[in-house]
Amino acid sequence: MSKSKDNSDGKAAVISAKAGVKESIIDFLKKAMDKGVFDAVLIPMRVPAGDSFAYVLIKDKTLLKDGVPLSPIMSVQGAKAVSSVTRLGKGKMKIAAVMRPCEIRATIELSKLGQTDLENTTLISMDCPGVLPMSDFLIDPEKNIKIFNEAVQKWDDAIMRPVCQICDKSSMIAGDIHIGTLGAKKDTFFIISNSQKGNDVMDKLDIVLKDSIDSWQAKVKNITEEKHKKREKNLKDLKSKIGGLDNLLDTFSQCINCHNCMKACPICYCRLCYFDSDKVKHPSEDYLQRAEIKGSIRFLPDTTLFQMGRMMHMSLSCVSCGACEDACPMSIPVAQIFSMIADEIQGLFDYVSGRDLDEPVPLVAYKEEELHEVEDAND
Amino acid sequence: MERKIGVYICECGPNIAEKVDIDRVIDAVSPLEGVVVAKRYKLLCSADGKKFLEEEIKKHGLTHLVVSACSPKEHEKTFMEVCKNAGINPYLFQLANIREQCAWITDDKDEATKKAIRLTKAAIRRVRYHASLEKKEIESNPDVLVIGGGIAGIEASLQLTSPDRKIYLVEKASSLGGLITNFEKTYPSMKPGSDSIKQKIQDVNKNENIKVFTDSEVEEVLGFFGNFEVKVKNVTEEDKTVEFNVGAVVLATGSTLFDPEKTPQYGYKKFDNVLTSLEFEKMNISGKISLKNGKPPKSVAIIHCVGRDEKGYCSEICCMYSLKFVRYFMDKIPDVNVSNFYSDLCIPGKSHQKFYEQTKGKNVDFVRSSDVDVTKKGDKLGVQYKDENGSKSNLSVDMVILAPAIEPTSDAPQLAEITNISQGDGGFFAEEHEKLGPVSTSTEGVYITGCAQGPKDISDTIIQAEAASGKILSSLVPGRKIEPEVKTSHISESLCIGCKLCLSVCSYGAITFDEAKKISVVNEVICRGCGNCVAACPSGAATIKHFTFNQLYQEISEAVQ
Repeated sequence: MSKSKDNSDGKAAVISAKAGVKESIIDFLKKAMDKGVFDAVLIPMRVPAGDSFAYVLIKDKTLLKDGVPLSPIMSVQGAKAVSSVTRLGKGKMKIAAVMRPCEIRATIELSKLGQTDLENTTLISMDCPGVLPMSDFLIDPEKNIKIFNEAVQKWDDAIMRPVCQICDKSSMIAGDIHIGTLGAKKDTFFIISNSQKGNDVMDKLDIVLKDSIDSWQAKVKNITEEKHKKREKNLKDLKSKIGGLDNLLDTFSQCINCHNCMKACPICYCRLCYFDSDKVKHPSEDYLQRAEIKGSIRFLPDTTLFQMGRMMHMSLSCVSCGACEDACPMSIPVAQIFSMIADEIQGLFDYVSGRDLDEPVPLVAYKEEELHEVEDAND
Repeated sequence: MERKIGVYICECGPNIAEKVDIDRVIDAVSPLEGVVVAKRYKLLCSADGKKFLEEEIKKHGLTHLVVSACSPKEHEKTFMEVCKNAGINPYLFQLANIREQCAWITDDKDEATKKAIRLTKAAIRRVRYHASLEKKEIESNPDVLVIGGGIAGIEASLQLTSPDRKIYLVEKASSLGGLITNFEKTYPSMKPGSDSIKQKIQDVNKNENIKVFTDSEVEEVLGFFGNFEVKVKNVTEEDKTVEFNVGAVVLATGSTLFDPEKTPQYGYKKFDNVLTSLEFEKMNISGKISLKNGKPPKSVAIIHCVGRDEKGYCSEICCMYSLKFVRYFMDKIPDVNVSNFYSDLCIPGKSHQKFYEQTKGKNVDFVRSSDVDVTKKGDKLGVQYKDENGSKSNLSVDMVILAPAIEPTSDAPQLAEITNISQGDGGFFAEEHEKLGPVSTSTEGVYITGCAQGPKDISDTIIQAEAASGKILSSLVPGRKIEPEVKTSHISESLCIGCKLCLSVCSYGAITFDEAKKISVVNEVICRGCGNCVAACPSGAATIKHFTFNQLYQEISEAVQ
C-alpha cells in the first residue's frame, strides 16, 4: 500500500450507479468474481433472524446480492474476520474484504503484528457515516435499519455512536481500493485505487482511472475538519471528567470485569490475556494483607488495573473503532477514553495506527531522538 | 518443600552500621513467614564473613539466603559463590542493596532504616519465588572468522593460524590482496609493495588451516565470544551458502576513496588526465605513466586533501603517498615538474621527514594553498589557487592527480549491523576505546584492524592486525570452556501468538520463528538475557528466568506496600 494519502487524478474513476449505489457496488464485486479477480468476498450481511448483521465470506456469487456494504451496526469488527481467514497464511483464495475505514486500519495494524497475511486479500473501504450503538439498534432492528438508511442519505451522524460522531478518519484510505460516495454526482460513486493491487483489479475490470476526485476530496475535507473540531472539543471535555486518579477510579468503578471490551477489540489478540491468567490470582494472604493495609479490598479486585493494562497495550494500535464501547454492558465510555489516550500516545510517535503497512509499530522502532515531550523539564 | 530463609545484614564496617538501625531491621523481618534466622555481621564479604555465612547455611539447614548489604554489582557473585560452597543453588539467593540505596543517600537514620526494612522484606518475598537454575558449560570454539582479504586480513590470518585453530578468511573480490596489490612500491623504503603481499598470499593459500572464501560475503553472524554462528554467501553463485562456527571475528574490510565527483572544482570525470591516486597507482604499476594521448606528462599537479573538508578529517597517508608518486616520476620521467598543493603536510614519524627532505628538489614544488580549482586550458589543465598570502595564482599542467580522503567501504554499515558493533566518526568501525581498546569493539569477540577502523598506512595496519591476533590468541584458548548465560529468555509455546515483535528487538539474533507452529523460539545458547523480547512481547509469552513477572510482582508489591 502506498504512503500517499492524497489521491491525485489518475487514481480514480467515476462509476455510474443508476440502479442505486449499494446495488452498483454489489454489481462491481460480482463482475470481479465473474472475471476471477476475486474468489470470495468478505462482506457484512443481515442474519437470517433479521436482528443483527454478521461478516460472511461469500464463495457462491449468487449470494452477493444480500451483501450490505454499509451495515447499520458493527457486531463484529471486520479485522477480526480477516484475521480469522488469513492468520495462518494467505491461503489460495483471492479475497476482497469490504469494510469500514477503521476496520481496514485495524486489519493493517494486525498485519504488522503478524495476525493477518494480506498478500491475497484486497481491502476495500467505503466512506463511513458511522454505525448505530448496538443497544439502541436492538430495541427495534427493523425500524432502526430504516432510520440508519435515512441518516446515511443525509449523512447525519447525530444518531450514530458517540465515537463515530467524533471520527476524523471516516474516509481515510488505507486499503487497496476506496469507494467514495461523498461529493459524487447523483447516481454515481467514485472508485479510488490506492495501491498496485488496486490498480491491477481496475485493469482486469477494464476500469480506466482517469477521473478527478476534487469534489470528493473537498467534501471529505469539510466533514473531516468538522469532525476533528468536535473530536477535540469532546475529548477535552472527557479528559476533564476522567482526568486524575479519583475520577479515573470513579469512571472504571462500574466495570464488572467481564472483559467483553477485550474480546470485542480487534487488536487485542493475545492467546491468553494476562488478566485472565493465573498470574492475577493470588494467595488469600495477599488479599488479606491488602485489606489490612487499606482497611478493605473490593471484589472483584483490580478492574482499573485491567483497564489501564489494556490501555497500555492497545493505545499505540487503537483505531477508535468503538467495538469495546458497544460491548460494554455497563455503558462505560471505553472507546472514547481509549480514543483520547490513543490520540496522545500515537501523537508522541507521529504514528497513526493502520495508516500504512510499511510504518513499523513504534514499540519496535528505535529512534535516538524521541519522547522529549515526556522528559522531566528540570533535567 | 519447607522454606528456611536466612537473612544476614552486613554492617559494612561503619558504612551501614552508622546510618541504618540494623537491630530494627532484624526485628522487622524476623517474624516473616519462612525466616528462620536473621543476624548482623560486621563485614560479610571478608574471608571471615564468607566462612560465617557458609557455616550458618549449614547449621540452620537454610534453603534460601537473603543478604542486605551493598550493590549487587559489588558482591552478588561473592555471595552466590558462598551459596554454591555451602551446597545451595546460587540462584536461591537475593541481595538487597541497603548501602548505596539507603545508608549513603540520607543523613536521616530513621528514613534509611525504614527503607532498609522495605528492601529487605522485598528481597525475602522475592526469594520465596526463586527457582534453582543450573549453569551449563559449552566448549569454546577457537576458530576465527576474518572478514577482508587485504593486508590486514591476511596478516591477522597468518598470525592466528595454528594446527588447533581454523581460520576462515572471507574476501568479497575474486582474489586476495586488496589495495596493496596496486602499489608498485611502498614508502618510505621504496621497496616493492605488491611483491611482499604476493609472498603472504602464497603463505595463506598453502596453509591448510586457513580456509579462503573469495567472491564471498558474510551474511549473518549470531552468538557471542567463543560461539558465533556464521553464514557466508558466495556472490557469484547466489544460492551457495556455507555455515560454520567460530569463536571470534576480525573485521579487516579496509577502505575506499572519497568520490572526487562530489567536489566538482577539481574537474574529475569532467576533463581528461585528472586521476585519483588509486587510478594513478594502477597506471604506474601497469608499466607506463602517460597522458590520454599516449605521451608522458611534462608537468603534474598533485592535489592533496581532496574531500578533507567534506569528510571532516585528515586521511593521514595521502601526503606520504603523494611524495612516493613524486619518486615514481623522478625515477621514470626525470625532467617532469611536479607541484604539490596541500592544506597541511602530514609527515609524522621517525623516517617520514627524511623521506620528504630527500624528495624535495629542483623540479618538485610544494604549495600551501586553498581554493584550488582545475579548469581546461587548451590541451592543458589549469590549476588556479590562492597561495598562503591569499593572492591568486595559475599554473598550467598536463596531468592532475587527486589524493581523495580515505573512507570506509560501502558495506561497512551492513557489516556493523551483522556483527553488532557501531560505527564511529566518518563511518569507520568504532573501537571500544580510542586509547585503551583500539582493536576491540563494543561486542566481545569482534575485533577491528586496518583502514576499516580509520585511515592508516601499511605498517600501522600490520600493527593492528597483530594486536587483534594477540587479543584473540590470549583469550580464545583451544579447549577452554565457556558458560552461556543462565538467566535466559523463554517463550511459552502456548502463549506466543506469532507477532514476531520479539525478533525485531533481539540484539543477539537469539530468536527464530518456527513457521510450522507460527511461534517464536529462543536459542538459549545465544540468548544473553537482556530482556528486550520480554518488554516487547505483547502477549506475556516471553519471560526471563530469574526475572519472572511473578518474582518482580512479589518484590515490587512488598517494596511499595
